[in-house]
Parts: sequence; structure tokens; C-alpha cells
Amino acid sequence: MSFLDRIAEGWRKNRKPGYYENFDYHWTMTIDLDQCSGCGACVTACQAENNLPIVGEKAFAKGREVKWLRMEHYWEGEYPDVKLNIIPMLCQHCDNAPCETVCPVSATYHNQDGLNTQIYNRCIGTRSCAVYCPYEVRYFNYNDHTWDSPLDQQLNPDVSVREKGVMEKCTFCIQRVRQAKDTAKDDGRRRVRDGEVQPACVQTCPSQAMAFGDRNDPESNVSQTLAGPRAYRVLDELNTKSSVVYLKKVETEA
Amino acid sequence: MQGDPNPLKYTDIHNDVVASIVETGSNYYVALATALALTLICFFFPWFYQLYYGIGAAGMNHPGVWGTYLASFIFWIGLSHSGTLLSCVLHITNSSWRKAMYRSAEAMTLFSLVVAAMMVMVHVGRPWFIHWTLPYPNQMEMWPNFRSPLLFDVMAITTYITGSTVFIYMGSIPDFAAVRDRTRGWRNTMYSLLSLGWRGTDREWHRLHWAYTFLAVLIIPLAVSVHSIVSWDFAMSIVPALHQTIFAPYFVVGAIYSGTAGIVTVMFVLRKFMDFGEYITELHFDNLGKLLLVLSLLWSYINIVEIFTGFYSGASGETEALRYRLFGFYAPLYWEMITFCAVLPLLCAFKRFRTSFVPMLYLSIAINIGMYTERFLIVATSLSRQYLPDAWGLYVPSAVEISILVGTLALFTTLFLLFVKIFPSVSMYEVKETMDTPKKIPAAASGGSLA
Amino acid sequence: MTHFVVGLFGDPESALSAAGSIQSADLGTPELMSPVPIEGVEEVLGEKRSVIKRFSLFGAIFGGVSGFLLAAITAVLYAHPVGGRPIITFPPYLIITYELTILFGIIFTVIGFFVSARLPNGLWTSFWKQDENRPYVPEAAVDKFAVSIGCGVDDVQRAETILRAAGAEAIRDGTEGVS
Repeated sequence: MSFLDRIAEGWRKNRKPGYYENFDYHWTMTIDLDQCSGCGACVTACQAENNLPIVGEKAFAKGREVKWLRMEHYWEGEYPDVKLNIIPMLCQHCDNAPCETVCPVSATYHNQDGLNTQIYNRCIGTRSCAVYCPYEVRYFNYNDHTWDSPLDQQLNPDVSVREKGVMEKCTFCIQRVRQAKDTAKDDGRRRVRDGEVQPACVQTCPSQAMAFGDRNDPESNVSQTLAGPRAYRVLDELNTKSSVVYLKKVETEA
Repeated sequence: MQGDPNPLKYTDIHNDVVASIVETGSNYYVALATALALTLICFFFPWFYQLYYGIGAAGMNHPGVWGTYLASFIFWIGLSHSGTLLSCVLHITNSSWRKAMYRSAEAMTLFSLVVAAMMVMVHVGRPWFIHWTLPYPNQMEMWPNFRSPLLFDVMAITTYITGSTVFIYMGSIPDFAAVRDRTRGWRNTMYSLLSLGWRGTDREWHRLHWAYTFLAVLIIPLAVSVHSIVSWDFAMSIVPALHQTIFAPYFVVGAIYSGTAGIVTVMFVLRKFMDFGEYITELHFDNLGKLLLVLSLLWSYINIVEIFTGFYSGASGETEALRYRLFGFYAPLYWEMITFCAVLPLLCAFKRFRTSFVPMLYLSIAINIGMYTERFLIVATSLSRQYLPDAWGLYVPSAVEISILVGTLALFTTLFLLFVKIFPSVSMYEVKETMDTPKKIPAAASGGSLA
Repeated sequence: MTHFVVGLFGDPESALSAAGSIQSADLGTPELMSPVPIEGVEEVLGEKRSVIKRFSLFGAIFGGVSGFLLAAITAVLYAHPVGGRPIITFPPYLIITYELTILFGIIFTVIGFFVSARLPNGLWTSFWKQDENRPYVPEAAVDKFAVSIGCGVDDVQRAETILRAAGAEAIRDGTEGVS
């Protein structure tokens, strides 16, 4: 192949890379709002799994709590005729993520599993990704955090503790995904089986409102759910192509 | 200057400008010491504390991740816009009134850019890794992300700092040469080095003219692009009140606006304290006043467009952001901005106002306060009201931020005070050019009287 | 050895006419030194052309090409998917191209200026007085207009006569150091 042909081929490859359509895995989470009771177990599980800092009262009052997964509360109507809508909000792992394009140092990018990753070591803390994120799920470390004893004993060794000046967010428990892929490889399988890997929030959900799986696999649990009539994405009109799919609450008129 | 019974001569200018450099009164040292002390106390000390503690020393929080640091950054970039840009435009259009003031205006550009670059360092969470935004080969084999609007900024501002430095330096070479012969000791060495051996030959003047013109032609589109790019830091996002096509012209106009006001302030100070009254005259204030009037009208127009399009879209996010900006928590600041930047400058319609120095000083300061508020509001109100109401919040600057804001002013003043003692702050050769050339002493006539 | 004869004039017109007479007397092209650019030099001493514009053009083209290549090649070298965009994206890379076009345009203009104006020259260092081929008159930086002509020993007298006839206020030996 001549030099020019190689350039032309490289050009085509880099103009239409193709991997956006065809990730190795396409991890997806579904959250059934009809089953969600708003207990907040997922929030706690996330806190424990991912070494989220306990920021303390003062920082909380300033609005600096770090919750990769938070429960959003929306009240409808006037007292006494009120209704509470709850929606767990976490990083949506958008395929067209606005936060990725804006990072000047590529500290956040899309990996081959279709996950939106955050590289703490590379982050310089411009915080622009947090501005660009329409879901407001990126959290900044405004200072170094401490874990008072005995809390320091429960830090997860698989997850790094972030230093000050670094952005962080939900990773879909990438340490567990990695583990599952390694196990699959050791067992001689090529793929991770459906349901083999669960992020902490999914694992802990008492009402099993959350599910996690590969949407590249048409047989998987999430792929089946995605086809259902209740599936929707938050702020879909922004064309972020998010990987977290919510299932509408079934309204029952009282 | 024509018709003056006692016209200025070339030597007068020479002496005045050299005197402004070598003769230093005690007032200058007091001012320099104060500015330096304020810089250390208000800028560097809080910054070092912030480096130690983390960005948490500032008032930013979860939705409001950007704050006054970014507002200051835009403000200083904006202030930099009139110096070199105005100087280039006036150079190309051959406006002679530019000549007495452009050197200090360009210095303003340069130092504003330096302060803006410092603000980036203050703003980011880990400034010790800021070099990762520069494209250089490294052992990580990582390059910056050229798709990022922030990286456009890095490129644009690097180019802009290079361009303005070169522009102010090249325009000063003849003046360095002129000062060189009048100084002794370390100053002589410094000016000898800076003037590169300029002798003022016809060849050198010719080359300087062309190089200077080419630079001006290159810098005009650059300056326009710099602030457009700064606006894209916001406009490329999908935050309701930031995702606006009008932002690039809005920022460019705002930048030139606040920069022109900044020039008025600096002109006033130079006139008052450096005895340049003969060179910086009512004419300059008159012309700058007209410019301010035009820019304020443009600025008001763009503001109206911004509100109208937001309102007309009817999208819930847009209308809420608009409502919040006009009537929400930050509304007093918004109306203060409208008063300072849209209403007060209308006074410039009157020639008596434009040619009175003290009112123009107050107006220029008011405009820059208003323009700072504009930048603050763009950041604060938009981030407080984004798509998900549960994540709405409020951002209020902390003491550290306010101190650093004051400190940047002191830093700028310090740099400027150093500048007036190193650079000839009025361009000697260009002022000389505007004057009548020395006339031949009529030898025949004098001879005749002898005979 | 070339001797330099420098005539000092109080006004640009006499300096120009002196330069014109020197040239028509076949003493070579004189050098004018002045505190401001003199109008009409080109009519007397011939049109000047500089290479600066070629430098600027080359710099701008070089900057533009290298700007796009910098962005495109570094993205290909370490390709990582970002925000659903292609690896080589046009709109952002064109902005990088634009900025680098201007940056290199500026840098090369400056280089072109230095090359074509022959700066920095011997005066640059503190040993500048030893530079014999570049006569320098400090008054020419203030309010005097100087005409300098380098010629052989035989022509010195003739040059001085022409300069004096044109109304020179003073004649200097350009090879002398400046007080």
C-alpha cells in the first residue's frame, strides 16, 4: 500500500472511528421508578464502596457534599394534597458526553466499555466538566478529606482516595467491572455473563429497582427492559445518549 | 498643537519622556511600595493559603463550581482588549490621536493578560499541573485535548500574549534607542540591549513601518478571536443561559467596552501623576468618550437581544434562567450593571461631559464595575439555575475570593508602576511625527539681516 | 578602509537634499538617520522593498498547516474517544489552525523584521563603540537629521563639501566613537 493510501485509510478511520456504535460492552443501568421506594440504600452503598468523603457539617451547609448517587426529590401539589417524586440521579455515562469534550487534558474520556471515565491523576481541576454536565453529577474535591477512625478501616482498597482539586463522579463501579472481566478471562470465557457484575447501588437495592448489564447483548436483562414502553432517558432532548435508562412510574389514580 | 505661540519642540518631548523614566519622586516609591504590599497581602498570601487548603477556601460549591476567579479571568482578558486592538485599528486607519496614548494602552493589554493568566492559575484545582494544557512531547505520551474550548483558550491567550508583547516591544525600539543615550549605568546597559542597536536609519524606519503594520493586521483578527473563544468556554456548554450564539459578539463588544473604559482611567492617572498633560489632552477624552457611547449602545442592544431570544424561545430552562437573572437573588447586581453600563454612559452624548476629566474618570470606573458584575452574573446566575431543579443552588464569594480580587488590582498596578519606569510611556517618535517637522532656519534671511 | 562622513542637519528637507546630491555625485547611497521616519526618502534614494511580507506569509502558512497537523496527529497518536466525536474533528481543529496561523505569522514577521532591518547590530552590546561600519549619532535620536556616507579616503573631502553646501550644521567622522 502506498503512503498516500495509508494516509487516506487513516483519515477515514479517524473520521469515522466506529467504536461509538460498537463498544466491547455497552454497560447500561435501568432504574425502575415504580419499584424505587426512595430508601437511599444505594446512596449509602455508593458511599461505602467508592470511598466517598464524609465532608462534615460545615462543608455540607456550603453545598459541597459528594454524592455520586443522589436522590432527587420533587414535590407536587400543595399540602395536604402532596405527592413526592423521587429519582436517583447518577452519572448517566452519556455516549455524547458534553463533559468529555471540554476537558483540556483529556482527564475524562470514553473507554471501550462505553463508560465515561474520570482519570483522577490527570485532572487539573478546571471544573468545566461539572459546568457542562446537564445532570450535575460531577463532584469536586474542594479540600483534602479525612476519615476519622474507625472509618479509615473501611476504605475500599480497590478504589483510590481522591486528593484536593480533583473532579470525581460515578464510575459504574469500574473496579467491579474490571474484576468481572478478569474473572471471565481467567475462566476462559470471552464475555462477562449477564448479571455477573453489579455496581454497589444495584447490588444493595432492596426493592430491586435497579438493574445493570450490557446493552450490546440483546439477551441481557437491560436490553429486554430497554425495549419496554416505560423506558425513558432524563433530558433526552439534549442528545446526550445517556446509558442510564429510567422506567416510568405507573400512575394509579386514587 | 498648531497655532500654539510656544510650540513643543522635539527636545521638549525627549526631555519630558526621559525625565518620566529617570526622575523618580518619593510619591512613586510610596505608591509602588503600597501596591507591592497589597499584592503580597491580598493576592499572594490568600492564594498560598488556597493552594495549601484547596479551592474550598473560595466560596464555590456544587452547582456553582465556577466563581469570581473565572469572572476575574474574563474581566482581565476583556480589559486587555482595548489596548492592543484599539492601537492596531487606529494605526491602520492612520489616526494620529492614537499616538500619545497607545503605549500605555498596550501596556495595559499586556499586564491585564498577565493578571488573567494568573487568574487561571488561581482558578484551577491543581495549578501545579497546569503545564499539561500545553502541547509538548512528554513521557506520558499524552497530549492535550484539542477539542476542548479551554484549550482554544490556552492557544488563543498564548498567541495573544506573544502578539501584544511583540507589538509593544517593536513599537518601543526607537524610543529605547533614544533613551539609551541619555542614561548611564545599568539603565544604559538595559536600554542598549532592548534597543538592539537601533540607529534610526531610513532602512530601519522603513522596515519598522512595514513590520508594525503587518503585526497590526495580524493582531486585529487575533484579538477578536480571543474573546470569542473565551465566550465559547460558556457558549459551547448546554447550560440554559450560557448556550447562546450571541455570546461571541457579546463578549467581544463587552471586552472592547471595558477596555476602553480602562484606557480612560489609565489616561487620567498618567495625565495627573506623570505630567503628560501636554500630550494627553481633551481631544483624547473626547474621542474615547464617543467610543464609549457607541460601545455602550451596542452592549445594551446585545443585552436586549439576549433577553428577547431567551424569552421568545419559551423553553422552560431558558425562561427560568432569565427570570432568575432579572428578578432572582442576584437581581440587584443585574440592575446595578444595567445602570452602570447602559444608562450612565449615555452622558457621553454631551461634549461637555466628554471633555471634563474627573467625570470621565468616575464614568470609566463605574463602567468597569458594571462589566465585572456582568461577568460575575454570567457565571453565577447561569450555574445556579440549570436543568435539574434539585441541583439548584446559590454561590456567594468568600473572603479569600474578594481579597484576591482586590489583590489582582494591586498586582496590575504594581506591574504598571514598574512599566512607566522602564518603558517610555508616551511614544516619543510618534508624538514627534504628529508635530511639525523642524523648519529650515532661513539662512538667507538671517544672512540678509547681517548684511 | 572605509571612512564615514556624517553631516548633521536641523531639518529633514536639507538632509534629504544632501542625500540626493551625494547620490548624484556618485559617492554611493548615503544612510539617513533621524528621530522620526522622514517623508519622501524613497523619492530621493529610490524605492525600498522589504522581505518582511514574505516572512509573514510563510509564517502564516506554516503556522496554519502545523496547527492543524498538531491537533490531528496528536489526536491520532493517542486516540481516545471523546464525547462521540471523531478523532479528527474539524470545527475545533480549525480554531487551533486559526490561532497558530496568527502566532507563527507574528513570530515570522518579527524574524523578518530583524533580518531585513539588520538588527540586532553591533550597537546592541556594550562594546558598540567598536563597530566601525555603523556610524551612529546620538543627536539623531533627539532632533537632528544625519546623513552618513561611507567612502574611500580620497572622497572624504568631496563628501564634506557636498554636505556643507547642503547646509550641514556639523560634520563628523563617523568612525570616531561617540562621546
